[in-house]
Amino acid sequence: MAKHHGDGHHDGHNAFDVSSKVSEFEILELAVRELAIEKGIFSAEDHRRFAEWAEGVGPHGGSKLVAKAWSDPAFKQRLLENGTEACKEVGIDWLQPTGVGTPSDYTFFYVLENTPQVHNVIVCTLCSCYPRPVLGMSPDWYRTPSYRRRMVRRPREVLAEFGLHLPADVEVRVHDSNQKSRFMVMPMRPEGTEGWSEEQLARIVTRDTMIGVALPRADRTSDAGSLAEQAR
Amino acid sequence: MSEQARPYPVLMETLDDIGERTDTTLRCIDHEPEVWESRMQTTCECLSKAGILDNLERRHAEDRLGESIYKRFPVQTRSVLTVAHTLMDRGLFTEQALRDKMSSVRARLEEK
Repeated sequence: MAKHHGDGHHDGHNAFDVSSKVSEFEILELAVRELAIEKGIFSAEDHRRFAEWAEGVGPHGGSKLVAKAWSDPAFKQRLLENGTEACKEVGIDWLQPTGVGTPSDYTFFYVLENTPQVHNVIVCTLCSCYPRPVLGMSPDWYRTPSYRRRMVRRPREVLAEFGLHLPADVEVRVHDSNQKSRFMVMPMRPEGTEGWSEEQLARIVTRDTMIGVALPRADRTSDAGSLAEQAR
Repeated sequence: MSEQARPYPVLMETLDDIGERTDTTLRCIDHEPEVWESRMQTTCECLSKAGILDNLERRHAEDRLGESIYKRFPVQTRSVLTVAHTLMDRGLFTEQALRDKMSSVRARLEEK
């Protein structure tokens, strides 16, 4: 017997709203893609394969790397010496999804260790190179000329805009990514996390801490959360 | 082939749908990407792999076009605008072909 859904809900989910407007950009994106497929530039299967890969990557990969490095000194050493190889230990293969990486991702990967004396931050002045296999898609602000141009000139000023104020005696090193080299920051393990499991540690290693525009804290598990804190 | 210095009307018309960019700081332009944005990045990868529009070349065009003729658009729209603009410039499809394809896609997606 069919269930009655007169209240517009199905097992707690809202029913599909047939009156919702479709975004013009959704239409434009699909139109461009379909024209390219019709011209034989790539196939729908090519697109699906890249999409599947893109949906699987995100900052959770980098968080696992850092949490494991904080917990395992031998792994940390391997990660600092050969980032691409060490990534395989947490299931990240830089050769995916094509066997030779994506057109913009198969490069040398370096992990930059923060210390009490040195704070690292990454940028791509040339375009928007980003370590996608470990951090996923770059945030919008990372791709803006405003960030790229100013981070290499006035890093402390830009970091302050993110709410990160570093002591004057801490050296700030800005690493400029390019087509051959990708970087990720390994932040310092914060106080108050003694005895934590790797899973617990991974939760506080957010995307922004691995770009270098924020520091991990025992009570901070989201970059969006810190924005809300700042607004208060 | 040189880049057309004027925006394509078919692309400018989409501005009505999303509204002009309003960001004032770096942090406020961080947002959760919508599905079409992720799909567009995938299209960019496919175009680059096929040798039609290299990723680096596209990113430079995004800067150039996004800071000039499409300056009023939010940052997250730059890839799709730039790819469409560049492919039309290169004659891969015409503005009319894009307009027609958008109409047919719109009719399919808005089907009740």
